[in-house]
Amino acid sequence: MELKNKKWTEEEFFKVRQEVLNHWPTGKDVDLEKAAEYLKKVPEHKSFPAKLKKAKEEGITLAQPRAGVALIEDHINLLKYLQDVGEADLLPSTIDSYTRQNRYNECEIGLEESRKAGRSMLNGFPAVNHGVEGCKRVFEAVDLPLQARHGTPDARLLSEIIHASGWTSNEGGGISYNIPYAKSVSLEKSLLDWQYCDRLVGLYEEMGISINREPFGPLTGTLVPPSISNAVAIIEGLLAAEQGVKNITLGYGQCGNLVQDVAAMKALEEQANEYFKMYGYDVYLTTVFHQWMGGFPQDEAKAFGVISWGSATAALAGATKVIVKTPHEAVGIPTKEANAQGIKATKQTLNLLRGQRLPMSKELEEEIKLIKMETKCIIDKVFEVGKGDLAQGVVKAFEMGILDIPFAPSKYNAGRILPARDNNGAVRILEFGNIPFTQEIKDFHRKQLEERAKVEKREVGFQMVVDDIYAVGKGFLVGRPNM
Amino acid sequence: MGKTVVLGVIGADCHAVGNKILERAFSDAGFNVVNIGVMCSQEEFISAAIETNADAILVSSLYGHGEIDCRGLREKCDEAGLKNILLYAGGNLVVGKQEWSDVEKRFKEMGFNRVYPPGTSPEVGINDLKHDLGIED
Ligand code: B12
Repeated sequence: MELKNKKWTEEEFFKVRQEVLNHWPTGKDVDLEKAAEYLKKVPEHKSFPAKLKKAKEEGITLAQPRAGVALIEDHINLLKYLQDVGEADLLPSTIDSYTRQNRYNECEIGLEESRKAGRSMLNGFPAVNHGVEGCKRVFEAVDLPLQARHGTPDARLLSEIIHASGWTSNEGGGISYNIPYAKSVSLEKSLLDWQYCDRLVGLYEEMGISINREPFGPLTGTLVPPSISNAVAIIEGLLAAEQGVKNITLGYGQCGNLVQDVAAMKALEEQANEYFKMYGYDVYLTTVFHQWMGGFPQDEAKAFGVISWGSATAALAGATKVIVKTPHEAVGIPTKEANAQGIKATKQTLNLLRGQRLPMSKELEEEIKLIKMETKCIIDKVFEVGKGDLAQGVVKAFEMGILDIPFAPSKYNAGRILPARDNNGAVRILEFGNIPFTQEIKDFHRKQLEERAKVEKREVGFQMVVDDIYAVGKGFLVGRPNM
Repeated sequence: MGKTVVLGVIGADCHAVGNKILERAFSDAGFNVVNIGVMCSQEEFISAAIETNADAILVSSLYGHGEIDCRGLREKCDEAGLKNILLYAGGNLVVGKQEWSDVEKRFKEMGFNRVYPPGTSPEVGINDLKHDLGIED
């Protein structure tokens, strides 16, 4: 099938579907009609779109952890614990890395070894191997909306299975679940495969069932400049909307400077709505803020500092939900206790700040303007090189380095862009590669970095980038020399 | 000094940031670094080591499946004729926060010469490697 930003016909969809459901034996238990019936009975308090809408209207920020282990019983215990003790508002099922690469055979080994070892040998929940039956058991055991969170370039079978099991949200996208998560999956393939996932949600919408879709905002989680992640988020939102998705949550990963982070969230929401309107899509948009996604401090008390700062920013930015980190982040997959502690620290901070927003200031206004201008430079160029077709434009734009994500493992990413922090900790760009910014914007970034270099009495250069990568883990935002 | 190391991230692991930094640090320290990047199978480590006549293989695993992914690497090296090649492993090797001495023991039993806990700085590995290869500073 040729990649185009055009809604798949039912014929196209069902032809591919036949093959998808054969990828693993559990696929044959997915029945669209039965799934629709099941989804129609999902009560409001367990529906992702409904809960997000309520939060947005009330102006509150919901807290959602990440969590997933190999075995069903253990996974249920974990989620119930996060719900009852951790006070989570929304629940996840984080999917393991073998499933993310469609290596279901290796999941079987991991499942068997987990049973033998008495602890999870997988870094997440292998939903495809557990199938609709297993996934329904999880859904029925909890009292909150459930979302799959993963990093899967080809999530077609996974999406079929989770939605058929009552999970009313799916994270991911053809760019955001490929470039940061894979080495050699082409964008043509991942974009097509995510069109499938989006079309599936579109089909449910046509049957009167609302399902939420959430492109993965933070990308590599490591010093990603706001306009880069906002451009990707808006593009994935537009691609999803074309396939009939109507309930979208766009996200952004905390960079750490308060003004820049609030500006990024505001720019994201406003600009995304403008683009949806411009292209005639009717989308209910909410936002998600990710607490710091880069390297964490090992010390648990220090980690709580990072978690709370992220929560404060999420509240002040008016995010609809915040994705929560844990005090174990730097070391390993958290225990359920550590995970619950992360949520509780988050909720305490959110509750203290309820109703407060960062007031508009000259600095905030300028930063919003800058991010929107940069984002527009990128998106315009993507449309241009795609000759008006957004999906084709994405492929071309990555080839040309117009879209370029720092530190990404994919060979389809140019990897020429280098970010570094300015003297206030805002993420700026040191090397632009082929990112299509105006000279004026480039000069501004340079000026900001020079200012830091002067304070630190060194040259602007790669060492700053390395220092910034380590900084938060060492207890600071900006990576100063002799930190 | 001319010593060659093969560097990579094993299994289905996509964590690329540490790998890029290790490449730079080991190169700056004078090693000839053959970086095979993320998501590498045991076979890819071994063929890179054979092709470049490497002195050591540095395996990173961040995502938690390190235990499954690293098992058997020593035996496969032996079979491939890479007898006694130095094997180091580092990163977030196992799932969750576990007693480090247990983890170290398990990896040493698998045949790794040196094993590093989360957040180990590249310098520690560089110094050990110089020591193990008899390189004077
Ligand atoms: C950034 C990040 C991501 C980014 C990665 C972007 C990319 N493509 O690179 C994104 C968001 C995409 C991501 C995804 C995932 N991540 Co992640 N991620 C991190 C995070 C926050 C920082 C990693 C990092 O870049 N650090 C900075 C670099 C410089 O440090 P480093 O990687 O530790 O490497 C240094 C040292 O470890 C050492 N070192 C490493 N190897 C070796 C080898 C030798 C020989 C020596 C001497 C030294 C050495 O030197 C390196 C350079 O200084 C860590 C947690 C943390 N550390 O705070 C989790 C973490 C590594 N991720 C984790 C997981 C589980 C995942 C996922 C599977 C999702 C999930 N289930 O939650 C997916 C991966 C999917 C896949 N297929 O791999 C877990 C691993 C858990 C475990 N081992 O028990 C961690 C620890 C978080 C956690 N506590 O749950 N992640």
